[in-house]
Amino acid sequence: MDGMMERRGLLKAAAAALVVPLPALAQAPQPPRVITEAAAGSPNGGPGQVTAFLRIGADGRVTFASPVTEMGQGTHQSHAMIVADELDVPLPAVEVIAGQPEPALRLQPVNEMYSGASFGIRFWHDRIRRACAQARGVLVEAAAQRLNVPAVELTTAEGRVTHAASGRSLSYGELAEAAARLPLPDQPRVKPAAERRVTGRTAPRFDIPAKTNGSAVYGSDVRIPGMVYAVAKLSPVFGAELDGFDRASIAGLRGIVDVVPLKTGVAVVAENTWAAMEGAKRIAVRFKPTPEQSLNSEDVSRRLREGLASREMVRPRNDGDVLAAMANAARVVEATYEVPYLAHAPMETENATVHIQGDRVEVWSSTQHQDWCVRDAARVAGVPPQNVRVHTPMTGGGFGRRLHTEVVEQATTVAKQVGRPVKLIWTREDEFAQSYWRPAFAARLRAAVNAQGRVTGLHIRAAGQSVMADYRPALFANVLRGNDPFSLQSMSDSRRYNFGAFRAEWRRVEAAPKVWLWRSVGGSQICYFVESFLDEIAAATNKDPLELRRELLAADARALRVLNTAAERAGWGTPAPEGRHRGIAFVDLYDSLVAQVAEVSVRGNEVKVHKVTVAIDCGDVINPDSVEAQMQGSVVWALSSMAKEQITLKDGAAVERNFDTYPILRMGQAPVVETHIIRSGERMGGVGEPGVPPTAPAVCNAIFAATGRRLRSLPLTVHGLSV
Amino acid sequence: MIEVTVNGTAHRLDADPDMPLLWALRDLLGLTGAKYGCGIAQCGACTVHVDGAAVRACQTRLGDLAGRQVTTIEGLHPEGRHPLQLAWVSEQVPQCGYCQSGQIMSAAALLSENKRPTDADIDAAMAGHICRCGAYQRIRAAIHHAAANS
Repeated sequence: MDGMMERRGLLKAAAAALVVPLPALAQAPQPPRVITEAAAGSPNGGPGQVTAFLRIGADGRVTFASPVTEMGQGTHQSHAMIVADELDVPLPAVEVIAGQPEPALRLQPVNEMYSGASFGIRFWHDRIRRACAQARGVLVEAAAQRLNVPAVELTTAEGRVTHAASGRSLSYGELAEAAARLPLPDQPRVKPAAERRVTGRTAPRFDIPAKTNGSAVYGSDVRIPGMVYAVAKLSPVFGAELDGFDRASIAGLRGIVDVVPLKTGVAVVAENTWAAMEGAKRIAVRFKPTPEQSLNSEDVSRRLREGLASREMVRPRNDGDVLAAMANAARVVEATYEVPYLAHAPMETENATVHIQGDRVEVWSSTQHQDWCVRDAARVAGVPPQNVRVHTPMTGGGFGRRLHTEVVEQATTVAKQVGRPVKLIWTREDEFAQSYWRPAFAARLRAAVNAQGRVTGLHIRAAGQSVMADYRPALFANVLRGNDPFSLQSMSDSRRYNFGAFRAEWRRVEAAPKVWLWRSVGGSQICYFVESFLDEIAAATNKDPLELRRELLAADARALRVLNTAAERAGWGTPAPEGRHRGIAFVDLYDSLVAQVAEVSVRGNEVKVHKVTVAIDCGDVINPDSVEAQMQGSVVWALSSMAKEQITLKDGAAVERNFDTYPILRMGQAPVVETHIIRSGERMGGVGEPGVPPTAPAVCNAIFAATGRRLRSLPLTVHGLSV
Repeated sequence: MIEVTVNGTAHRLDADPDMPLLWALRDLLGLTGAKYGCGIAQCGACTVHVDGAAVRACQTRLGDLAGRQVTTIEGLHPEGRHPLQLAWVSEQVPQCGYCQSGQIMSAAALLSENKRPTDADIDAAMAGHICRCGAYQRIRAAIHHAAANS
């Protein structure tokens, strides 16, 4: 609700303030390495009407409506830093609010407001700078007119325009109204890197104090007058639809308001969350049978193996003649790997609050996809999309999970039936059962090695469900024609390693569970397969794992620098502390390069990961401490998943339904993470995800160094190892 | 009617005595700092103090709180300047922040009993908490920081 009030106040105040739209770049930013609908011919690529803005008030306060969701990475802080830097205002004068889905905040060419692919800064940085440079331009022009001096004699700093020659200066607040009447310059002067004073240096995050005193408002904290509380009870079996429910089974429970049927379950509506939860726990619900209601993990595993043996595969990369390389090889190294389904398990379960008033709908949701919230709420409420406003409160973890908006559809269904505003939340049990997962995946890798021990060819065949088919089905079917760029992500789209001949293939496997974007998406499993396999090649050719990677990256100075930085800082080549062993891995994901060295000891079945040294080259850096925080978090995320996490299926349903059976890494198991940031000045890369993929293979490679055991499946617990 | 004292204020609540404290705080009293994470005392996001001890509010019956003092993150310090809260800011601990109210409340209970905890003391005291963003390294550093400053 605060967001709504702020926003209305903002629009009202905007009349007397300088409002600058976010400009569309002449050249659209690089889309994620995933072809999008619009790239394939959607007409909806133009900026359209512009209502999103940077606002400078008469009091000099600067407000920026961010096009992305703050999920904890500090993206809004970085946006504030870019604004302060380019506009020449003190950082504390800048407020960043979550924007509304509107044309200028939509990412082109898909024309949607959403957050993913680690693009919160890299895709928006240039546009935010340009908007601020335009604003600075008209402020200077307004000052030039007011002071009757040439604009070139004016300078800007600390929210003021100064005429040094006469010692006069005016604040931005004093100039805002006049500046708002001037046309924005088409070609504003954007500061070159050397003139940037705020970005590139660590600044404390403005969202943190509220996260230490309980005042930060998350989606699940939203309260509006007259609201009722709903808790969903969903089918534990994927794809099972509601058959019926017995309202009498919860008769007599205190505080129950209603029971609302949903597609895949019911929502029990009550005067408080607990009453709704009790109702959801006890209500008798029947689900329709599904063709996959007896699906077990072994069945999925068998489908993966069958997929690997398939003769028909999608082949996104086929460089050189990999079959000839194998035929001519002195030696062929071969291995098969497999990983399970994984849940996102964000700390905050799915929730949405919806208020329908006449033909207007307000939605509050900790979402990564504002436009899909609008789409779903509008469809269910039967109103035009422009009548829906979506507010994005703080978000208890994203990780890709909140790119799907089913909960908004459900909350709108309930609000429509009960005629009151409603907050609907999912229990942790439903969050595990119905959270779309990281797909289970398998891969068979073969490497051709010549008589000199050099790799002359690499062939990866992978099999697994398609994330893209569930995420953007029309795109997958009609445009990509069955080629999912997530399926071999970090290998099909990177040309860093030179394997000689290289073939990458994928066979789509189908199964009832929905699969989804999970922090680092395809990189999470493909990097584990390939970087573990490179270690196998190193062992087979009696090479140091670092030396092998240096050979394969020999022509790539940027990648070598990242690899060597991690290796040197971790002391690679020097004796490790007593009982410890090292493993290394590298990834190229979302335009960032990351190398990690894990330092591990193994005693019996106990694996201890002492330290992970990270080198990242993400091109340019806005807030170095945020990069460091993301590397720490990425390592913990990845170590947790590779060590402990898996969703197993029994009779079509997830066995693991809460944190007692789906363990997450705890503080005592978390390694020290040491981060080294390389500022190459290359095109800006992502930070939230690229730190994830190298951890699993680096740790497995260290375990191999310690024990000689090669771990070709995850998590470690299936091998009897505990972290 | 159930009488319960939260952050020094006595409340009379017309609620089921079986209602967990978590939902009474969040829905009846509007104190949303304690979070729902699992409902089975596995994640620690709902941690509050009852008579100074860290408890999981999702497992604490409202009916058992007569005459007890409940403290939530909102009441840990009148201006939000408990040494741990200051340390959480100076160490830039939170990412998404959802688990941090619970983490801070457990850390506060630890420091009230152990003024200079070791890494092992901290790991043991904080073992009931999950931070999905992986801020553990900073949480530990912030607890040491607060211990040194208090």
